[in-house]
Amino acid sequence: MIHVRHLAKEYADLRRGRLVALAGITFHAAPGTIYGLLGPNGAGKTTALRILSTVLRPSGGTATVNGYDVLTQPTLVRQQLGFMSANTGVYDRMTAWEMVEYFGRLYGLAGDQLRERMEALFERLKMNDIRDTLGAKMSTGMKQKVSIARALVHDPPVLIFDEATSGLDVLVARALLNTVAELRDLGKCILFSTHIMREAEKLCDRIAIMHRGHILAEGSLDELCDMHHERDLEELFFHLISEHDAAQETVAAEA
Amino acid sequence: MNWTSVRLIFFREVRDQLRDRRTLFMIAVLPLVLYPLLGMSMFQVAQFVREQPTRILVMGAAALPTEPALIEGDKFAPRLMGDPEKAVLTQLHISDEPLSQGLLSQATAQEEARRMVESGQYEAVVWVPPDFSTQLEAFRAELRRAANHSGSQTPLADETSVPSPAVFYSTAKEKSQLAYLRINRVLERWSQEIVRENLATTQTPPAAVKPFVVAEHDVATAGQRRAATWSKVLPFMLLIWALTGAFYPAIDLCAGEKERGTLETLLSSPAERGEIVWGKLLTVMVFSMATAVLNMFSLWTTGAIVMSHLPELGFPPPSAPLWLLIALVPMAALFSALCLALAALARSTKEGQYYLMPLLLVTMPLMMLPMAPGVELNLGNSLIPVTGVVLVLRNMLEGNYWQTLPFLAPVGLITLVCCLFSVRWAIDQFNSEKVLFREGERFDVGLWLRHLLRDREDTPTPTMAVFCGVLILIVNFFMSFALGEAGSENPVTIALMTQLVVIGTPALLMTIMLTRSPRQTLLLRLPVWTALPAAALLAVLAHPMANAINVIVQQLYPVSDSMQQALAEFLQRAPSKASLLLAIAVAPAIFEELAFRGFILSGFRHLGHKWRAIVLSSIFFGVAHGVFQQSIVATLVGIVIGYLAVQTGSLLPGVVYHFVHNSLALATAELSASSAADHPALRWLLNDDKSTGLAFSTSAMFLGTLGAAAILAWFSRLPCSPSPEESLQEALEHPQPQAAI
Repeated sequence: MIHVRHLAKEYADLRRGRLVALAGITFHAAPGTIYGLLGPNGAGKTTALRILSTVLRPSGGTATVNGYDVLTQPTLVRQQLGFMSANTGVYDRMTAWEMVEYFGRLYGLAGDQLRERMEALFERLKMNDIRDTLGAKMSTGMKQKVSIARALVHDPPVLIFDEATSGLDVLVARALLNTVAELRDLGKCILFSTHIMREAEKLCDRIAIMHRGHILAEGSLDELCDMHHERDLEELFFHLISEHDAAQETVAAEA
Repeated sequence: MNWTSVRLIFFREVRDQLRDRRTLFMIAVLPLVLYPLLGMSMFQVAQFVREQPTRILVMGAAALPTEPALIEGDKFAPRLMGDPEKAVLTQLHISDEPLSQGLLSQATAQEEARRMVESGQYEAVVWVPPDFSTQLEAFRAELRRAANHSGSQTPLADETSVPSPAVFYSTAKEKSQLAYLRINRVLERWSQEIVRENLATTQTPPAAVKPFVVAEHDVATAGQRRAATWSKVLPFMLLIWALTGAFYPAIDLCAGEKERGTLETLLSSPAERGEIVWGKLLTVMVFSMATAVLNMFSLWTTGAIVMSHLPELGFPPPSAPLWLLIALVPMAALFSALCLALAALARSTKEGQYYLMPLLLVTMPLMMLPMAPGVELNLGNSLIPVTGVVLVLRNMLEGNYWQTLPFLAPVGLITLVCCLFSVRWAIDQFNSEKVLFREGERFDVGLWLRHLLRDREDTPTPTMAVFCGVLILIVNFFMSFALGEAGSENPVTIALMTQLVVIGTPALLMTIMLTRSPRQTLLLRLPVWTALPAAALLAVLAHPMANAINVIVQQLYPVSDSMQQALAEFLQRAPSKASLLLAIAVAPAIFEELAFRGFILSGFRHLGHKWRAIVLSSIFFGVAHGVFQQSIVATLVGIVIGYLAVQTGSLLPGVVYHFVHNSLALATAELSASSAADHPALRWLLNDDKSTGLAFSTSAMFLGTLGAAAILAWFSRLPCSPSPEESLQEALEHPQPQAAI
């Protein structure tokens, strides 16, 4: 469903020179699974997901979403996915219903089909009480629900959640994670980026541990634990990152 | 382009703006309230603004003649005042004692008068010389004597011995100027009275000094006078409103969305960037037009009341709203597209506000140009963006419909082209990651310079290309002044120096310092060998057409006499034909090609469209020629050379074309001095038309253009290597079906 091969992204940074945000990562995500990108801030998770949502263009490598190339068929790729991140806000001067309806229409839905889809979504996400609330008057949790409804309105086969629980209280975060799990059960291919170990452990079928633009390890939770002889994901994570940093420092010192 | 998405985005944005109280206030409430309030305060203020009385000192009043009297009591004589009611505004202070007693010398008195005006004690001082009255009387006696002895041979002296009174005032003070004007009128009338008395003394009829009066007839009707006044004011006001009405919504729709974090939401929807821009553009346009219309309506309503108090100005012509509305559509479109592109550049609404000033600096002169005296609607002016629309609008308001008709097409075309360019620019902004995801970073010149040198690419970036072009223009501007002072030097040396210092050096230095591959940047590669003779032949065959375009441009925008003289002098003062060829053909073919087809074109090729790169580099090439008429032709030539450079991937065909083109232009200039009859061998090629100078025959032009088109077709079949951005754009516009797996 999602095939990423040697995906790279470089930026020109005034202070640090050429900055490698993604150093050629490769991974595949299948339908009916949640693929987790686990990494600290600045690991390149958001860059990778922005490339997949065609908001950014890669400097190298390829990526396809449901068979469509992100570089040459961006419009078709966007039709295939629902994208939600901490950076995808909600319109202040639109109600929840208007906002979801607007995006539904942009995805080409209309009439009864759109109305039925929205009624079902509002019911499932328990959003009927905020139907006519303006974005500006919503709490963070309400906004997050609207964002999910907006990403799901066209029933896409692929869903991308980028740090979707950041800033949410425990109750709302838990509800969101449950929704994501339900979507997996509906056969969606889900990319889920987070820096919270617990979420990755609980939710993801496969995990890629990212750091400084590289994928340090990839596999199911059990595979990762077996491969690195460490049962605790957090310990495993720290171990991999320290190892990578130490290796980088040695290379730098030798250079 | 999916117009359903455009429509969706448009309606959403309009609804969003209408829900914003600030926008509603600026667009709807403010104009409706502002003008009535302004009108009201104008009437209020008018009660306080009365004509100020001026204090005038008359020094040495005792020396004034009693007949005709200048002063009666403590005022100017009422018969000398044009409007007796305004007599109270002139407060006279009369001082005659010091002078009559001879306490002050003439110089001291004048010094004293000067001091009193400067200190503001009086607005003006009239100084009457001590012997004025006696000398005047003596002059009259002389006149009487001459009249009584009309047969005598003693003529009157040309100049009388009557000393001149003086008025002291200061042009630095408005009240003082006003006082001077009032005094001047009074003294003028008084002087005429003295003349009349003198004439009576000599029994000469008054008609002797004024045998006739020039009758003045203004053929303009009151309506035409009003239309002429309003036609200058209304278009300017309309455009200012349209611009401000477009600016604020554009900022909210672009920078505001970035700030609120909703832009990424929209970008990840299936709507394409072009659709987003069109949707937003139409919204901005609607608000721009609404602002202009509401302001106009409110001003009209308030004006109706004010105008009733200003009968001399009167109402604009009744058809004015219609013409203003028609002109508003293209102008709102153009301003909206410009504002949107600028607003997309801004990271925050605050940053967006900063862009208003540069926008005004560019558009204001274009709006104000038609107000300059003598600027009229002709083909040349109609091709200037904004100015052309304002001139057409002015003519429509004045009722010159038939004269305006031929210019509608060029004005419409230029405005449309400008609109499309601005929209394209806005779409480019929305496609640029650097613009959309620009992060706030502290700007440090040192870091930035280090970054430029450290993170060099093989070829320059578009920004570097723009910088190189602007640098060449600026250095050219200053060098032209510096070289103008060294006018006595050999003109060939000056031309060579300009090429080397102004054009060659910046491009070469920037290539070495800012790029990793000078060879790739400056296209220093050998083309297929046939491209070189083909380029030379193309220049020869295209020459009649280039010459014809040159003639047309010079008819549209005539070259000033001083410019023509300078050019002729340049050609005459060159030491030899060979040196002239070196300065005009060889040096530009090398240095200009290195700069414009080398560095600048390579930079613009990162934009993703080869034609855009060619046109932009040609515009810089054209503008660098300095003389406007030359710039137009050079831009067109630049497009041809740019195409050769892109198709062959080499600078050399361009160098050959440029050399041949300039050499032929030089040869044509030499031939222009003679006539076609002097060259029997060239008779089939040349037309002997004295009115336009040397011109090519129609058959030569037709055959040449046909041949040139064939050679260009040959160039178009060469395998050109696109830049990575151009390949990507090609893939986006024409996706390969097999890409979908």
